[in-house]
Amino acid sequence: MTTSSVKEAEAGKAVPFVPGQPDMWFFALFETLVFTAYFVVYMFARMQHHEAFLQSQAKLSLSIGTFNTLVLLVSSWSMARCVKEARVGAYRSALTNAFLTASFGVVFLGSKIYEWVREIRLGYGFASDEFFSYYFFLTGIHALHLLIGFVVLGVVVHQLRSPERRSQNLVETGAVYWHTVDFLWVLVFSLLYVVR
Amino acid sequence: MSAAATETETLLESPGGSPLRRIAWHWRHNPKRELWGAWFTIIAFYNVFTVVFFIMTHTQPPPKPWLDAHGVVRWFDGYHNALLIGFGVMFVLTGMTVAQNALIAYSMRRMSVHPGFGYAYLVLYSLAGVPGSLLLCIVLTVGAMRPDRDPALMSWLYDFAFLSYVGTMGVFLVGSLVWMTAILLDKNNVFPKWFGYLNLCNALTEVVVSPAWIFHRGVFAWNGLIAWWIDMVVFGVYTGAFISLLRNMIQREDFGTGPLPELVPNKPNKPDKPGKAKRGPDSPSTMGAAR
Repeated sequence: MTTSSVKEAEAGKAVPFVPGQPDMWFFALFETLVFTAYFVVYMFARMQHHEAFLQSQAKLSLSIGTFNTLVLLVSSWSMARCVKEARVGAYRSALTNAFLTASFGVVFLGSKIYEWVREIRLGYGFASDEFFSYYFFLTGIHALHLLIGFVVLGVVVHQLRSPERRSQNLVETGAVYWHTVDFLWVLVFSLLYVVR
Repeated sequence: MSAAATETETLLESPGGSPLRRIAWHWRHNPKRELWGAWFTIIAFYNVFTVVFFIMTHTQPPPKPWLDAHGVVRWFDGYHNALLIGFGVMFVLTGMTVAQNALIAYSMRRMSVHPGFGYAYLVLYSLAGVPGSLLLCIVLTVGAMRPDRDPALMSWLYDFAFLSYVGTMGVFLVGSLVWMTAILLDKNNVFPKWFGYLNLCNALTEVVVSPAWIFHRGVFAWNGLIAWWIDMVVFGVYTGAFISLLRNMIQREDFGTGPLPELVPNKPNKPDKPGKAKRGPDSPSTMGAAR
């Protein structure tokens, strides 16, 4: 906290508060803009070949996509609980929630790989169809963000484990990253699976 | 400014006079002359790079990946002189990238992290210069110098040049991750943490470009909206940010080992000394702090 904000807090004024490092919020905003650019390109291609995209989209399993979304939303809930527990000093419970988050992440990734294999076996590969090119690209780049999320969760666990470290700021920074990955998935899911 | 900010007050002040005289003075007296030399070399290199790749040879944005063999021959023929002159310039000046690698490695040596980060970056980005610039220049020059070869061979050279240039991003990816890790672990505040995360954004674009190996046309091809244009916007933001932050680092450099001091804000001109403002630790005319 800066000197001025400490003075403001002492004076009883509301201090602007951003959970975690503001720098991670910059990352979240920047990556959201990059994904928005991908979505605009996808939507433009979809407008050009609407019927072909609809036919290919029908091959996707909405139930798997919904399951993916629910799992990731639950992982965000456990991540939020991790932050909440760490704030009140309940580090054991915070650790449990961090591991729960990672477990939901693994379930998401497992179901995504299952879905990719299913689509490829049905004959829809990365280069076989324009819609599936976008599908594999968007879900693939999102999965890469999720893999980085496991590293971020590793940092959170590392912080929570030792009383010497335990930086609440870093725990919340990790949570911002995880929620960003979740948020981006909701957009990917809506565009690829739901929008007709 | 934070309470921890240290004022590295101006110890040296260049004499007035012509720009040449001031440059000569800095050359002799400025303790940061090597750092500024490297930084201005980066600026000069990116200007030359832009002129050669974007304006002269039209290799950026990359030309059509779907050209047939005769189309490729016509392309080489159309840019024959530009390729020879432009890449001739690049062969002479590509070595300027060493200054950039050195300054970035220096930034990591100034951090509180292990020196291995700086050396790893130096090795990775020295290797990256081969597929990242030299191969394209060499291969397209071969094509321009041997226009009588079989069109199929010319087509192979064309694919080789652009795929090696656009598609071989592994070293760049790992290099960006090394820089990112160093910044996030650093306790000397050499760079802001947001720039560490921007390194991750840049590293991710190196993955996004990889479908260019598979697609001959469309958004994932080597000149596509996703594989090239969006990536190039991210790279442009990243490059602009690191050039600006390196300048900021040199201005703040105190040649110590602890946290890098914050910049002293510029002071207004004094009425009795027109045109001779007292500046921060080292704006181009007043750079200081003893070694």
